[in-house]
Amino acid sequence: MTELGMALRSLRGRRVASVLTALSVALGVALVVASVLLTRGIKAAFVEGTTDYNLVVGAKGSAAQLVLNVVFRLDSPLPNISMSTYEDLREDRRVEVAVPVAMGDAYRGFRYVATTPAYFATAPWRSRPFAVTAGRFARDDPAGQPGYEAVLGAEVARRTGLGIGDRFYEGEEMAAYPLTVVGILRPRRSADDRAIFLSLPSYWGMNEIARAMTIKPLTAVLVRPRRLADLPGLHRQLNVSAQTQAVFPSAVLLGIFNLLDLAEDVLALILALVAMVVGLYLFVSMYGATWERRREIATMRALGARRATILRIVLLECGVITASGGAAGLVGGHALAYVGAQVVAGRAGVVADPFALGLLQPAVLGGAVLIGTLAGLLPAVMAYRMEVAEHLAPLS
Amino acid sequence: MPDAPPAPAVVLHGVRKVFPLAAGPGLEVLDIAELSMPAGTWTALRGRSGSGKTTLLDLIAGISRPTAGTISVDGTDIVAMPEARRDVFRTRHIGYVFQTFNLLSAFSALENVMLALAFTDAVPRRAQRDHAAAILTRLGLADRLLHRPGQLSRGEQQRVAIARALANDPPIVLADEPCANLDAQTAREVLTELLAVCRDSAKTVLVASHDDTVLAAADRVLDMAEINRAGARPRERTVPA
Repeated sequence: MTELGMALRSLRGRRVASVLTALSVALGVALVVASVLLTRGIKAAFVEGTTDYNLVVGAKGSAAQLVLNVVFRLDSPLPNISMSTYEDLREDRRVEVAVPVAMGDAYRGFRYVATTPAYFATAPWRSRPFAVTAGRFARDDPAGQPGYEAVLGAEVARRTGLGIGDRFYEGEEMAAYPLTVVGILRPRRSADDRAIFLSLPSYWGMNEIARAMTIKPLTAVLVRPRRLADLPGLHRQLNVSAQTQAVFPSAVLLGIFNLLDLAEDVLALILALVAMVVGLYLFVSMYGATWERRREIATMRALGARRATILRIVLLECGVITASGGAAGLVGGHALAYVGAQVVAGRAGVVADPFALGLLQPAVLGGAVLIGTLAGLLPAVMAYRMEVAEHLAPLS
Repeated sequence: MPDAPPAPAVVLHGVRKVFPLAAGPGLEVLDIAELSMPAGTWTALRGRSGSGKTTLLDLIAGISRPTAGTISVDGTDIVAMPEARRDVFRTRHIGYVFQTFNLLSAFSALENVMLALAFTDAVPRRAQRDHAAAILTRLGLADRLLHRPGQLSRGEQQRVAIARALANDPPIVLADEPCANLDAQTAREVLTELLAVCRDSAKTVLVASHDDTVLAAADRVLDMAEINRAGARPRERTVPA
């Protein structure tokens, strides 16, 4: 019989307490894994989902709200700007690309994003080109001739079950303007996965207020300058205007990251407290178990077990509890992160990867075993120092 | 010409055991000037509660150390040994049957016996299971191998404890009130089995007991009142078989 075998049999002997202790380790590990995966995932999703454009131009208001709404499809939209802002930018010789965007209604929670084919155009500066997995991109409808064609983000297609040729609308008032699915985008791991793209004329045609307006409304214009040196001038000029503001998305992202870092720090503190509580519970559990088993330990010593053998057996018990609890916690943590990622994606449109593998898993598991071993050290030393004859005496 | 007496398996010389107290000089529980146990004999140790029987067994087993004196087991001075060596020595030379059995509750009967084999290389690891099963079978527990102590009767538990004490085939067996927790009938059965096994392999047996059955079965009986006195020599009394 090996020392590990003895440790396992001892744990089996107090099955309920062992399972509960392993469960507490599992909960702690799951919490750490899920929290880290989600915060890292959210951060990575913001980085991945950010725009290739250097400026976002929209109505005066909160810069963060503009970027969150236009780039990440979060938060509520700012007031509209006029089409002339886009036309002026398009004519500006300092601007390489200007892409108009209008956002408003939604179908089953997925936002309509009206734009031009320029949004999907291939360009050398684009980090990830757009592609369709089925169908084609929507046609560039001439003004006043909406085609009501829709291109679905990958997540929209998956969640709604809509396919090429399907017609859809939401609400009876929209029944006269159904959209027809002409394409489905390849997954991009960005907010585009959760958007329904259509042409600006289609969007304006569907919208009762926009139909009546002579100067059509936009939510924002995405701008990329010919030279980066022109960026400050453009930024200043657009911000001087009474109607518009220009925002650097990278600056807003930096602000978001600073907030996330703060949240991460608080989370790290909470997780450290969780680790301490789990370690303390493990210590109390092992101390109690060792104290209750002092007669059995004395018997093993009387049978020839050395003090070091007893020390190793108690430490092995801790190791087995933390390793099994930790392994279960890893699985649970990924499951928790998966559920969390779904909730975050559903509510905020940020898609975090709940199954990201890396150093996190071995580090957390190793940390759990280390904490478990440290927690078991005192009980193990207590067992090590136990006087055999004293604890073998018949119980009165 | 009569046969020469067998060489002593256990020899105690000037052994004292004093338990330290929080205050004062300490509690002296044992003071034996001289005691020897011939190899292959069965010695019974009787005495009232608190007379030092268990302490004496613990000292011979090397579970605790005397305050003074020497103890020789199979010709080896165990008092001078470092604790770790004494632990190994114990596994090879001494089997100990406890009054309260001291079986590990989470271990099956088989595992309890295998436990005694785990701390020595007397039996190769691969053969330990069969070896333990054979001893238990000899003690009538062939159909109880996988039962845990809680699933066994008291008599069966004591048989497992005996099997565990004999697992390493030690030349010396110590038993502390082995029948105290058994009814008369079971006590007789257990004792008969212990005797049979020990006599077959000429083991030296020292049994602490109040039980008349045990005392009657012994080759000689030592009274703690007589041996546990400073400077007093034990008076031996042969009990007719």
